[in-house]
Amino acid sequence: MSEQQKHSAQLHEQFDRVWGNLPGFGQLAAVNHTSVGLRFVVTGLFFFLVGGVLAMLMRTQLALPEQEIIGPELYSQLFTMHGTLMMFLFAIPILEGVAMYLIPKMVGARDLAFPRLGAMGYYCYLFGGLIILSSLALSIAPDSGWFMYTPLSSSTFSPGPGSDFWLLGITFVEISSMTGAIELVISILRTRSNGMSLRRMPIFCWYILAMALMIVFGFPPLILGSILLELERAAGLVFFEVAGGGDPLLWQHLFWLFGHPEVYIIFLPAAGIVSTLIPVFARRPIVGYRWIVLAVIVMGFISFGLWVHHMFTVGIPQLAQAFFSMASMLVAIPTAIQVFAWLATLWTGRVVWNLPMLWILGFLIIFVAGGLTGVMLALVPFNWQVHDTHFVVAHMHYVLVGGMLFPLIAGLYYWLPHVSGRMPSDMLGRWAFWLVFIGFNMTFLLMHLTGLLGMPRRVYTYEAGLGWDWLNLLSSIGGFVMAIGIAMFLLDIFLHFRFGRRAPRNPWGADSLEWAVAMPVTTYNFISLPDIRSRHPLWHNPQLPFEIEEGKHAMAVIRHGRRETWGSDAVTGRVREVVHLPSHSWIPLQAGVVLAIVCLSLLLKTYWLALGATLVAAFIMLRWSWVNGAHPDMAPVRDDDPSDPPLHSRTHDGPGRWGMLVTLMANGSFYASLLFGWFYLWTASPQWQAPEQGPLALMPLLASGVLLSLAVVVYQWLTQRLRRGVTRHLQGGLWISAGIGLIHVAVLVWLMLAAELTPTQSAHDSVLAVMLGYLLFHGALSAVATAMQAVRVRFGYVSAQLPYEPLVLQPFWSYTLGVFWLSFAAFILLPMAW
Amino acid sequence: MAGFSVVTLVVVASLWLYALRRRPGEVSDEQAQRIQNRWVIGGGLILPIVSITALLAFGIPIGHRMLPLPLVEEEPLRIDVTARQWWWDVSYPASGIRLRDELHIPAGMPVDLHLTSEDVIHSFWVPRLGGKLDMLPGRTNVLRLEADEPGLYYGQCAEYCGTGHAHMKFTVRAHAPGEFDAWLEGATVDE
Amino acid sequence: MTFPPWHPIHLITGLTVWAIWFVVLYGGLSVACEVVPPDPTRGPLNWLNALLWLSTLVVVGVLGWAAWHCARGTPENTQPNRRFVARTSAGLYFLSAFATLVVAVPVWFLPPCI
Repeated sequence: MSEQQKHSAQLHEQFDRVWGNLPGFGQLAAVNHTSVGLRFVVTGLFFFLVGGVLAMLMRTQLALPEQEIIGPELYSQLFTMHGTLMMFLFAIPILEGVAMYLIPKMVGARDLAFPRLGAMGYYCYLFGGLIILSSLALSIAPDSGWFMYTPLSSSTFSPGPGSDFWLLGITFVEISSMTGAIELVISILRTRSNGMSLRRMPIFCWYILAMALMIVFGFPPLILGSILLELERAAGLVFFEVAGGGDPLLWQHLFWLFGHPEVYIIFLPAAGIVSTLIPVFARRPIVGYRWIVLAVIVMGFISFGLWVHHMFTVGIPQLAQAFFSMASMLVAIPTAIQVFAWLATLWTGRVVWNLPMLWILGFLIIFVAGGLTGVMLALVPFNWQVHDTHFVVAHMHYVLVGGMLFPLIAGLYYWLPHVSGRMPSDMLGRWAFWLVFIGFNMTFLLMHLTGLLGMPRRVYTYEAGLGWDWLNLLSSIGGFVMAIGIAMFLLDIFLHFRFGRRAPRNPWGADSLEWAVAMPVTTYNFISLPDIRSRHPLWHNPQLPFEIEEGKHAMAVIRHGRRETWGSDAVTGRVREVVHLPSHSWIPLQAGVVLAIVCLSLLLKTYWLALGATLVAAFIMLRWSWVNGAHPDMAPVRDDDPSDPPLHSRTHDGPGRWGMLVTLMANGSFYASLLFGWFYLWTASPQWQAPEQGPLALMPLLASGVLLSLAVVVYQWLTQRLRRGVTRHLQGGLWISAGIGLIHVAVLVWLMLAAELTPTQSAHDSVLAVMLGYLLFHGALSAVATAMQAVRVRFGYVSAQLPYEPLVLQPFWSYTLGVFWLSFAAFILLPMAW
Repeated sequence: MAGFSVVTLVVVASLWLYALRRRPGEVSDEQAQRIQNRWVIGGGLILPIVSITALLAFGIPIGHRMLPLPLVEEEPLRIDVTARQWWWDVSYPASGIRLRDELHIPAGMPVDLHLTSEDVIHSFWVPRLGGKLDMLPGRTNVLRLEADEPGLYYGQCAEYCGTGHAHMKFTVRAHAPGEFDAWLEGATVDE
Repeated sequence: MTFPPWHPIHLITGLTVWAIWFVVLYGGLSVACEVVPPDPTRGPLNWLNALLWLSTLVVVGVLGWAAWHCARGTPENTQPNRRFVARTSAGLYFLSAFATLVVAVPVWFLPPCI
């Protein structure tokens, strides 16, 4: 062994000790993005299999007319759960998992920006998924369709617990999508290796950035909708029931405000995989990088302007429908830009033909076909004809299977050697491809015709002799062929871990940094962090992996057993700080378990237990934020702290503050949905009633607002001084700010109790109650978090050298204040002026 | 429309296959730039814009005809349809006739169906007569239908409405204009 | 405009303007139809459609101007990072303007409230 190799091995050992997971059950405390990402992927595949089995059961029932194998009760559970599993428990989590695994490696970081958040997200996903799945085992699964249209899903028409499982379980699972999205955004923007400017980011990062931001803005409407519907079911509040002034269409708006972006949230990362693989196998840089970035951004926005196209048949004025119809057609432009940029890349490159490329080709054919039927569906009159028929089922599967599953499998094959250090079998993979491709088209190409012949969706059986018989039979056979193909793919993956031939370093000759990581994958990704001078670092310098391994680049030392990576400027990628990351921790698991208990106790309607568990969860979260910054377990102040660049917890503007801002964007989207609900019910609900006199006393409300403003002013004053390094009165000031905040909350509580709202009888009061609850939550959280900052000043975790945390909290205070006065204007002043 | 889609699909797929097989030789950066502009602007901008324009030229007039605009001649016949789990309550307000799961309409002239629901969301759909329209509790949507030929048409609920959804069907009998009045009279007498 | 053409905020401003305009268009139309619906027999020629069309022209004008501003202010090849942001932003503004125009096309053809 040469001197150099010995040195590398030594470095590896040092790094592995700090970055590795605990052995045995300690694996459960892992926060490392490689572990967490892989867990997401494996769990996602599990739910995919379950969802696939449900689909096979449905195809069995529909194979022949007038069969009675599966009755209508079970059938409705099957299609509801199939959609729910595939959308919420397979597609989004597995793609986020892939992104969580890859993004730090692609941007040259050692971990994601918020490792514990990712780990907690995983447990929320796992437990939430299992809770939802358990309902199927108990045959009390949700049965109102994956979109849960109310009033069918209301307590009147679905008295069983099925809808509750969906509403609570999915909301629980969505915590994981949100946490994943937030940490992906921050990791892409703030932890890139030195010199990786926006222009040099791998194209995949753009896609994931867009996807994550779409989740940040797109999921809150559904979270709000689920909370409202659950409140209506469990507590009798009125939001969607016509009698008390609600409107079932509000649910449809909220659902599709999420539901349509969701389709693009699934498509974008998959398209990112395509854009990553094609240039590698065409052996040339992607053609039209800037065009693709442009297309991705356009898609991210325009896909929010399409939601009403799921509601073309509810009786909205034609002109309004036409806006959404036009916007739906507009999406064809960014899609076409990408398809032709890929084409141009292949055109000008020397294509190496292999297994991932085969799946990409399958993607192209199926997805383009699905896109074309999509443009047809955007046309309102045609939509009226085929809406809710099997034509739509076929279209949707073309887009989702073509646009997501095929690229995903291509990507899994492509990055498989990265995980296992072995190559997949070409033979099995090809068989799997052709079976899936043929089976898929047999099932769904024919289904277009079935739909045009008038077969509606979601029927558990049909009469013979309507011309649908042979089509359904062939569709069912195709479905089973596809299932065999999928089984073969999984078998291939399974076998390759044992029998696959050893992969050389960078086996596909790729250009991006993730292939500079040793194979099989290491826990720390990079021994040293390189300067990036090109969009294709490994083509630019093929020796880079070895240089990194030999510690020839930056930060090749472990300081005080800490996990560290670069924090960099969002635009230029120049290094700004050293981000120190938490090591393995049990807190995410604890938080996940307690939140699961909250979810279960709400399901079982044991509300005292739910309240208790919520308090425990709050305590765990506070403990979580306690072990941060200069805490002895993290990065206590030492004489040899790096100063250029400094540790992020010693700066004014680290990733945490960015994380706060992105979280507030999600929060703002949630609040905007609530405002939308208010105005929607007010203007459009058929039986809306507002009392003559607003139920809230004006003067106390104003007083509580003034108190809140005062608390924020004090806080702002403190943080301004803190920025200048002045810490006199800091602790006392924080206590005062927290105290005034608490009085504000107390006044609000009193106001709420004194107002004698009747939320079970009127939608007006229900929305008002939710709004007040929202303000209360924010006021209380600001106050408690500020009080904790005051304690941290006392412990010496916040000081002139450690100004970070109060500055992270500051945007939250401003947000709370803004939301209060906005609510005051929208819920109190405007109705008075009307 | 379908033909155009198939052609687009075939062309795009063949271009890809050709691009996969092609051996381009050395491509300089300028050449690549030119090829990029040609493909991305041609295929990514012009192709979808032209297709969308064509589609609209074709779709907007159709949509226009379906609008329930006030008619110049007489008011169309009004029929109220109320959906319940899982049957259709049909009534003729002008003559007081009530029917279950069947409609009778005059052929060759428009009728306005006033659609609503008593419980969950349903959707009224007669595939051979036109588009579908949802039936929502608390709201009334108006669907204008016209059967060109007399005959029997089958309809069904098109929005999932619970376990009886698959069997929630109805028939529409379109009578020749003279016969319709006769039916109307006969049915009124029956009441 | 206080931001130079290469500021990354331009990557999102154009489409944000489009999105806000879209919400105002849809929301304004719905509220107007609820409160003061114009006579449906007059077809697309009424005050409401005129107003919608006017808002479209204003937004297209603003976005077009922004596209021109970014395109004109694109720095030379010596500053590739800035050039990248500025050129992409110009394209995005242009596409936003185009999207605004396209979405508003039906205002020519359709009466607003039925």
